[in-house]
Amino acid sequence: MLISKTINLTKSLKNYWNKIKDFFLIVLLFVLLLPLPNQVFAEELEKSNQLIEEMIIKSKKHAIETLELNKEERSQKITPLIRQYVNLDFMARATTGSFWSKANDEQQLRYKDALLHQIVNTVEEHLNTLATLTYTPLNSEFRGKKIIYIRGKIEDKSKNNPPINLLWKLAKSQNETMSIIDLEIEGISLVTSHKSEVMSILRKNKGDFDYLIERLNIKK
Amino acid sequence: MKINSFLSCKLMVLIFILSGCSSNNIITSETKDPFEKLNRKIFNFNKKIDQKIVAPIGSAYEENIPAAARNAIGSHLDWVDTPSTIFNSTIQMDLKNTILSSAKFMLNGLTLGFYDLDKGETAIKKKDFGSTLAKFNVPEGPFLMVPILGPKMTRDFTGTIWNKYIMTNVSSDSLNNLTLLETPLETIDTRSKISKTIDNIYESPDPYVKLRSYYIQNRRNKVYGKNYVDFKNNKSDEEFEKLLE
Repeated sequence: MLISKTINLTKSLKNYWNKIKDFFLIVLLFVLLLPLPNQVFAEELEKSNQLIEEMIIKSKKHAIETLELNKEERSQKITPLIRQYVNLDFMARATTGSFWSKANDEQQLRYKDALLHQIVNTVEEHLNTLATLTYTPLNSEFRGKKIIYIRGKIEDKSKNNPPINLLWKLAKSQNETMSIIDLEIEGISLVTSHKSEVMSILRKNKGDFDYLIERLNIKK
Repeated sequence: MKINSFLSCKLMVLIFILSGCSSNNIITSETKDPFEKLNRKIFNFNKKIDQKIVAPIGSAYEENIPAAARNAIGSHLDWVDTPSTIFNSTIQMDLKNTILSSAKFMLNGLTLGFYDLDKGETAIKKKDFGSTLAKFNVPEGPFLMVPILGPKMTRDFTGTIWNKYIMTNVSSDSLNNLTLLETPLETIDTRSKISKTIDNIYESPDPYVKLRSYYIQNRRNKVYGKNYVDFKNNKSDEEFEKLLE
């Protein structure tokens, strides 16, 4: 009787021990594996922050180096820089909504070109101001699986103008490099406002892409 | 005076009815614009006035007045506007903002607001009657282009009129006279500060839609703050993720 009780107790103790062992193994595995994705995320965030800072340094350098040039020459010089950092393909699709699939390959290419010119013109207008401002990164975060938010602000050293809050939205492009998919200046999204304009023109003209490109190019 | 009050009351009722035309959801479709035809006409009228009168004065102001003096004027205009923030923060039960804005108003009163003695250390959220109406869940209503005043949501236009009416009654006569005198100065000061943005709007393929989009995004950010920013970001993330797939 005593022997069978002892055997049972030993068995149940063994069971308990196995359960505790399993539990600790799972915890250990979890603890070991947890930092892996976090480390990957942290590296991605770090890379994205560096990308933005690198772009700002290059833009400032460009602004100073091209001061003597005329507007057209300056625009030509900054175009490769914008191509490098901005995901034009994404922006073209994001700003045209469902109309994008209705455009043919040639129209899509021309639209991307017109969009690039719009971005170049906007950047060009603010380039001289940027040269006198300082950029300070604030924070960054992963949004879902693909999107990264980088927050920062630009400040006027002379304090003549209030600081401007910026939010860069980045994602991996098809060639696996990080690129900008949207920029919010003081909470105003450039993709959202450009989309409103484009959609309004397309809706009023039954999705006529040629007319849209013509309108965009008039203002080049 | 009685006729004026009667007319303004009638106008308020009309605007409230118009506000009710939209849903109570804070984020309505940005492109919902039932008065677009009329708005576009008013936009063109405002644009002409801006290009012929306000912009030239604004650029002359920027070129001829030193930055330090412009800063002092800007700071003074903010100070004159603070009673409205104090009043609306009180109604909205934003105790922190009420106390901070009252303290800042009194402190900067020593220089009539021309010099910010606080040196921008105290962050104050500017509040108007439009934001108070939003706090009490009054819908923002359709987008309006108001002659001379520019873009407004129906609720905010009601707020602007009420704000003026209430502030005239609660402020001292001297402050009211000062506010009246300074309205044109404020227009020029603001125009000079945002001249690049306005140029960018005029050069876009559809300036009216661009202005509407900028205004609505900016206004919602100010009125709803974090709630709107979170909602907008979640919505755009969803949209962007689909496009990235």
